[in-house]
Amino acid sequence: MTRRIILANVLHRPIRSIVSVLAVAIEVALVLLVVGMTTGMLRAGAERVHGVGADIMVQPPGASLFLGVTSAPMPVTIGDVLRTLPRVQAVTPVLLQFNTDGGLNLIYGIDMKSWNEVSGGFVYDSGGPLVNPFDIIVDNYYAQDNGVKVGQTLQLLGHAFHVAGIVEHGKGARLYVPLPTLQELQGDMNHASIFFVKCAKQQDTPDVLAAIKKLLPDNKVLSVDQYMSMLTSSDLPALRDFVNVMITIAVGIGFLVLFLSMYTTITERTREIGILKSLGASKLYVIDLILEEAGVLSLVGIVCGFVATLMVQKLTMAYDPTVPVHLTTGWFVRAAVLAIAGCAIGSFYPALRAASLDPVEALAYE
Amino acid sequence: MAHAQPIIVTLDLKKVYRTGKVETPAVRGVSLRVSEGEFVAIVGPSGCGKSTLLHLLGGLASPTSGKIIVDGNDFSAMSDAERTRFRRHEVGFVFQRFNLLPTLNARQNIALAQSIQGNGFNPHRFQKVVEMLGIGDKLENRPYALSGGEQQRVAIARAVIAEPKILLADEPTGNLDTENSHAVLNMIRSLNRSLGQSILMITHNLEAAAVADRIIHMRDGQIVDD
Repeated sequence: MTRRIILANVLHRPIRSIVSVLAVAIEVALVLLVVGMTTGMLRAGAERVHGVGADIMVQPPGASLFLGVTSAPMPVTIGDVLRTLPRVQAVTPVLLQFNTDGGLNLIYGIDMKSWNEVSGGFVYDSGGPLVNPFDIIVDNYYAQDNGVKVGQTLQLLGHAFHVAGIVEHGKGARLYVPLPTLQELQGDMNHASIFFVKCAKQQDTPDVLAAIKKLLPDNKVLSVDQYMSMLTSSDLPALRDFVNVMITIAVGIGFLVLFLSMYTTITERTREIGILKSLGASKLYVIDLILEEAGVLSLVGIVCGFVATLMVQKLTMAYDPTVPVHLTTGWFVRAAVLAIAGCAIGSFYPALRAASLDPVEALAYE
Repeated sequence: MAHAQPIIVTLDLKKVYRTGKVETPAVRGVSLRVSEGEFVAIVGPSGCGKSTLLHLLGGLASPTSGKIIVDGNDFSAMSDAERTRFRRHEVGFVFQRFNLLPTLNARQNIALAQSIQGNGFNPHRFQKVVEMLGIGDKLENRPYALSGGEQQRVAIARAVIAEPKILLADEPTGNLDTENSHAVLNMIRSLNRSLGQSILMITHNLEAAAVADRIIHMRDGQIVDD
């Protein structure tokens, strides 16, 4: 019977129910999408770095995990020294530059010859390699997202670049220009932001890593596998703070809407609560009724939030693959638990208030 | 009608409402004895305290002083939760404004009392009450689709479905036309006769009160004639 009353109430006030469900759905979707997009973009970035094909990364002292954030370039001559180390097969210098035209992207300034030695070369969808100083290569995601074709001109960094090739995504960046061009544009000739080192055999990586660390004790030297695991960790300090703030806002929205919705409901249904009390309904019965109703609304909201999140994920994959949404079962569970907790807290005071209504006053309520 | 066993006893019952520093006495020392199976009508003008007395007897409100003993249970010694439990099992209410839950149909409104009582749905009792009150063809209707008389009959069914010891009716014909008033009063009367239901009904209508075994007159919070 309790369930029947709850269902009847939910259906009897459809606008209130829809608003409550939407609030929970937005809360859940916001949590999942904020986490999914941040981790998705980080993972995609990490996977692209892995896709370069190198085994070791050498960065300047104090460099950030987020490539391109810090600018403390190293002389390209370091690359020549690294090449002399035993069991090093190839080394390529890369200069990094953030670009905000056509979305937030990292541009790699590359030396085509050494880049091919480390990465095994690009897989071209169309066009060919960088030949002229203002040639640019874009990956297929960037091309799809921005409608770029080989032969057209792209305005980047205040200059017109000729699109020389479109390549398969997954090798470091989405945009590649010649290293000397980027060095000139940065006014930083003969410097690089990072060196990708390829070992003769993958199992040589620890030994080569140790040798580079000995050679360059102040630099940040990581194996690509180490970098991957650090960047895909959900416990990155900057990410953790951002995600926590966003989750707090999302849960706050759900809490406030549910609180307001259930509080309004109690006021609207004061007389009905009086009737239940006249029939002998205990305080616990009334509390249970309100909490269960909030629970039903939150469960429907959670399901709607899940569906909305999955739809956004599909849509971004279809229309903007540069913004990957990485969703995990763990975060689905966490988002649901947060929504339920928000709803329980948000509806608890209205439920208590309903339970403590004076039955005589409630029955006289107009 | 001679009844040895009292179902309701009140001794010098008082109820004072306080609003800020203002005290309003609603019931001023009512001593009353209602026997089991008796049908008592309390009549009096508006504001004489008869509704307050009904709420006190049903455990909806607690007295300021005095004793209420219902079926041997002393309300003054009971907590709010205990009074609620007692009301659940032993008291049925019928109100002037019917007080049906608008979101439930007639069947669900009636079954709600059984559900709150916690003894589960009793189809035999349900059928008996529904037939007695003549609402068998209205069970799937929501309150808004029922006439006033039909709503009150559903409310009576809900009040007696859980077999309470006493039925407290607060102006049960107050919102009904003459024809429906007669029908409802006859049903209450027949519940008393056929089921031996103890009934205490308050009304300001002497014609309605005439169906009772006994009429108590109240004025200014006191019984002035019994």
